[in-house]
Amino acid sequence: MKSYLKIGMGAALSALILSAPGAFADDEKIVVGFATAASGFMQAYDKPAEDAARIRIDEINKAGGLLGKQIEMVAADTKTDRAEGAKAGLEVIDKGADLVVVSCDYDFGAPAALAAEGAGKVSFFLCAESVKAGIQGVGPHSFSASVLAAVQGATMAEWAYTKKNARNFYRLLDTWTEYNKGICDGFDYQLPKLADAKLVGEDTFKNDDPSIAAQITRIKSLPQEPDAIMLCTMMPGAVSAIKQLRAAGINSMILNGSGVSGSYWLSAVPDLSNFFVPDQGSVHGDDPNPKVNEFNAKYKEVTGGDPSSQYVYPGYVMIDVWAKAVERAGTTEASAVVAELEKMKDEPTLFGPRTFTSELHHQNKGRYLITEISGGKPKVVDEWTISEPIPVDYLASK
Amino acid sequence: MHQRPSILARTWTTPVILIAILLAVALAAVAVSTGPFNQTVIEIFIRVVLVVGLYVFIGNSGVISFGHIGFTCLGAYMTAWLTMLPAIKKSKLKGLPDIILNAKLQYGWGLLAAAVFAAVCAYVIGKVLMRLSGIAASIASFAVLAVIIQVYSNWDSVTGAQSSVVGIPIIRTIWPYFACAVIVVVVAYFYSISRSGLALRAARDEATAAAASGVDIPRERLIAFVISGAMMGLGGALFAHSVGVVTPDTFYLGLTFITLSMLVVGGMNSLSGAVLGVVVLSTIIQVLRWFEKGIDVGGTVLTIPNGVQEIAIGIVMIVILMFRPTGMTRNRELVWPGKKLSAEAGAMPSSADGKTAKT
Amino acid sequence: MTAILQILFDALSLGSLYALGALGIALIFGVMRLVNFAHGDYIAFCVFALLWPSIDAAAIVFAGNLPTFLLIPLILGIGAGLSVLSEILIFRRFRNANPATMMIASFALGFIIKYFLLMLYSSRPKSIDLWSNLSQQIEIFGARIPPLQVITICTTIVILIALTAFLKRTRFGLEMRAAAENFTMARMLGVRANRVIMLAFAISGMLAAAVGLILVTQTGTVDINMGANLMLVAFVATVIGGLGSLPGAVVAGFLIGGLSSLMQAYLPADARPFRDAFVYGAVIVMLIWRPNGLFSSKAVKQRV
Repeated sequence: MKSYLKIGMGAALSALILSAPGAFADDEKIVVGFATAASGFMQAYDKPAEDAARIRIDEINKAGGLLGKQIEMVAADTKTDRAEGAKAGLEVIDKGADLVVVSCDYDFGAPAALAAEGAGKVSFFLCAESVKAGIQGVGPHSFSASVLAAVQGATMAEWAYTKKNARNFYRLLDTWTEYNKGICDGFDYQLPKLADAKLVGEDTFKNDDPSIAAQITRIKSLPQEPDAIMLCTMMPGAVSAIKQLRAAGINSMILNGSGVSGSYWLSAVPDLSNFFVPDQGSVHGDDPNPKVNEFNAKYKEVTGGDPSSQYVYPGYVMIDVWAKAVERAGTTEASAVVAELEKMKDEPTLFGPRTFTSELHHQNKGRYLITEISGGKPKVVDEWTISEPIPVDYLASK
Repeated sequence: MHQRPSILARTWTTPVILIAILLAVALAAVAVSTGPFNQTVIEIFIRVVLVVGLYVFIGNSGVISFGHIGFTCLGAYMTAWLTMLPAIKKSKLKGLPDIILNAKLQYGWGLLAAAVFAAVCAYVIGKVLMRLSGIAASIASFAVLAVIIQVYSNWDSVTGAQSSVVGIPIIRTIWPYFACAVIVVVVAYFYSISRSGLALRAARDEATAAAASGVDIPRERLIAFVISGAMMGLGGALFAHSVGVVTPDTFYLGLTFITLSMLVVGGMNSLSGAVLGVVVLSTIIQVLRWFEKGIDVGGTVLTIPNGVQEIAIGIVMIVILMFRPTGMTRNRELVWPGKKLSAEAGAMPSSADGKTAKT
Repeated sequence: MTAILQILFDALSLGSLYALGALGIALIFGVMRLVNFAHGDYIAFCVFALLWPSIDAAAIVFAGNLPTFLLIPLILGIGAGLSVLSEILIFRRFRNANPATMMIASFALGFIIKYFLLMLYSSRPKSIDLWSNLSQQIEIFGARIPPLQVITICTTIVILIALTAFLKRTRFGLEMRAAAENFTMARMLGVRANRVIMLAFAISGMLAAAVGLILVTQTGTVDINMGANLMLVAFVATVIGGLGSLPGAVVAGFLIGGLSSLMQAYLPADARPFRDAFVYGAVIVMLIWRPNGLFSSKAVKQRV
C-alpha cells in the first residue's frame, strides 16, 4: 500500500515536472493569444466570436499582414473556470502574445485579462458588456469589443417611447447575472428622461426558477396591461420567462437586451409577436448593410453554419480596431497601441461605430438595429442610436 | 506497566512526510518555472488548504458538511475588502463601513483577517448547528452555504452582488501559498492529536460510549468547526489573491463537490488522505489536460478531445472509490517506512471502515 | 378571494414540481441510503433525449416529434434505463460503502453524464416546443390555471398514492421496505435484494423523466443544468420530510415551493432578490426544530 503510494507520488511529480511548455518570442510575426473557453459552458459563446476574429485575421494576413508581418494565433483553454482562466492568460503570454483575447463573459474573462494587465499587454474581451471590462475593472490596457449592456436597455426604452408610443413600462429583472442588471440599469437611466413615461411596476426572478407564476400574477393584477415590459434576462431563463408570459395571455410589447439575439430559440415559443431585440448586426440575412450579409456568408463558408446570434460580430470588430491601432502606432507595443485606440472617435466598423477614450474602453453609446419578432419570424425593422451617451460616472457607480 | 511513547513521538513523521510532498511540488514549480505551471502549483496549494480545512471538521467529526465553502466565500471577500485600493471600493462597494472603506492593508493581513472573520462566523453558526448530526447537519450546513451565497450575490452595496470584485492584489509567487499549506497541515496535525481532536474522533466512532465517558460532543465539534472554518476562510483569501477576481458563484456547488471529492477519494478520515487526494487528483487532471493539448510520444502526437478530461476524472474517481471505498489511504496516515502504522491519531479505522467489513 | 386563490395555486404548482423531484430522491434514499446527486443529471439526460445530438445552436428535434402515446413511455423508459444502468455499473459495487463514499460516487456519475451531454450537444441551451397548448391558461373562479400545472399536481398525488399502495400492498413493496429497514437481515430472509433495488432505481429514473418532461413543457428550454436547482431543493425537501418517508418528502416539497411562491408575492421589491436566502433560513430553523424531519422513520435514526 505504501509502496503504491510512493510510486504514485513519484510518477505524479515526474509528470508534473516533465512537460513544460516552452516560451518563445518571435520578431518575424505578430502573435494574438486567445485565452478563451474551448470546453465547458462558455465554449458555445466564445467559439463563434473567435471564429469571427479568425476571419478578420485571415483577411489581414492575405492582404499582406500587419506592419508587414503575418499574424499568428495561439490559444489556451480556460475551461470556463476562473482559476484556469488565469493560467490560460499566463500561457498565451508565455507564447509571446502581443494581444490577449479573453472570454466573452466578464466574470470568466477577467482572470486572464488581469494576467495580461500584469504583464503589460493589451487585452480585449470578446464581447463582455460590463463597464468593468476595461479601465474601471481590469486596468488601463483592457478593452471590450462589444457595447455596454446598459446601452441596450436605454436604446430599447427610448426607441419604444419614440417609435411605439409606449408610456407605461414594467421592469422584470432576472437577478442571475451582472449583464441582466446592466440592461435594467440603462433602462432605469433612460426612463426618467422620457417625458410622461412611467414605471407601473417591477419584479425580479431567477434564471433557473422553474416557474414564474407569482411574477405573472403580479403583472396580471395591474389595473391595465403595461405598454411595454423591459425584460432584463438572458438564456436559458429568457425562453422560459417569455413562454410563460405569453401563455398567461400577457400581450404587451416585450423589450429585451441582445442576450436573446438570434432565431435558434424561437421554436420554443411558436408565433411569438410584439417582441423586440437590439442587434449590432443582423444574423437573419436582412442587414441594411450588404457587407454584413457578405460577412455572414463568409462565416458560413468557414464554420459551416450561419452566425447564431449577434455575439459573433464583436470578435471581428475587435481584430479590426486593434489592427488599425497597431498600423497607426507602427508597433504592437502596448502603450502606443492603447494611445491609438483611445484616439478613435466613431471609428467606422462593419457593425457600427466605435469610440474609445482615456476614460472608457467600451461603448456607452452605440448604433443598434431593432429586430422585431412577429408571428415567430425575425425581421430588422429599425435602427436606433440613443440621443445621449450614458455617463461614465453613472455606469461606474452601478 | 510498559510506558507507551507519546502520541507525538509515534506520529510526528506524518506531517513531516506531508510537508515533504508539498515541498516536492513547490520545487517542481521552481524547476519548471513557467507562468501557467506556477499557477497550477498555486492552485494545488490552495486546494490543500481547503481540503485539509474540510478534513479537520469532516474527518474528525464524521459529519459531512456541504457548507464549508461558504466560509471560503466569506474569507475571499474579507481580504478583497481590506486589500483593494480605497478609491475602487468607494465607487463600487459604497455600503462598506468606513474603517474597511479606507483600509489598504498588505495581503498578509488580509489573509489573517479572512481566517479570523471566517472563524468568528463559524463560531456563531456552529453554536446553532452543532447539536445536529448526520444528514440533518449536512443539509443544515448546505442551507448555510445557500444563505451566504444568496446574500453575497444580492447585497449590491457591500459585495457588488454577482458582479466580479476586481482590483485585489495578485500574488503570483508560490511561497506564500506553500507556507499557508504547511501551516494548515501542521495545525490540522496538532489538532488531531490534541485532547479535543481525540475526543471528537472517539465520538465519531462510538458516539454513545464517548458521551458516556464525558465527551461534550457539540462542544468538541464546535472547536473543530471553528478551526476548519478559519482554514476555509484562509483558502478563500488565497484564492482571491491568486486570480485577482472574486464572485459569489465561484464558491458554490462546483467547489464544494470538487473539494469534497478530493477528500473522500484521498481518505476522508486521515490528514494524509486530504493532502494526497488533492495532489493525486490534481496531477491526474493536469496530465489529462496535457493530453488534451497533445503530447508528443515518439513522434506521434496523442490528443484526446476537449471535454474528455472531465469525463475521465469522473471515471477515475469512481474507479478509485470502487477499489478503495475508504479512499486511497484507507483512512490511515502515512508514516515513515519501518515505523508501525499507529493505532491512534487518525490512524484508526473509522466507523465507516467497520461497516465495510464483509457482510 | 381570487387573488388568494391565484397565489395558492402558484404555490401549489411550484410545490408539486419540487415534490415530484423529492419522491425520486427519497425512494432511493429509503432503500439504500444513497443520496443520489446524479438525479438532476438524469433529468437533463431524459430531456436531451428528445433532441438529436448536435452542437448547433438550433435544436434538431428527434424523439420529441413522436406522438405523445409513444413519446411518454419512451422518455420514461430512458429515465428508468439510465437509472438502472447506473445501479448495475456503479452503485451495486458500493452496497456496503459509507454514505459519503456513495454520495461522491453519485456526484462523479452526475459529472460524467453532464460532460457527456456537453460533448454531444454543446453547452448552449436549446429550445423545443413540446405540448405548448398545455401551457395555455384556463380560468377557474377567476384564477388562471394552465392545464399543465393541474396535470403536475395530479400526477404528483397519483404517484404518491400509487407508490404508497405499492410499498404497503405488494410483495415487492414489502421487500423494499424490509430492505430499507435492515438490508442484511432482509437478504438473509430471502429478499431478492438486487431486484428490489433495481426496481427502486427504475421508478426513481422514471420520476426524473417525468420531472424533465414537465419542466421542458413549461419552460421550452433544454439545458445541461436544468435539473440541478430542482434536485437540490428536492434533496432538501427529502431531508425536511424525514428521510425515507415518501409522504414526508412530498409534503416538504409542497412546503418549500409554497414558501418560495408566497415570499415572491408578498416580500417588498427590495427584499425579493433575497427570497432564496429566506427560504434556506427557514430550512435551517425547521431542521433545528425537528432534526429528524416532519415524518421521521425509525430506520433513519439508527443508520444515519
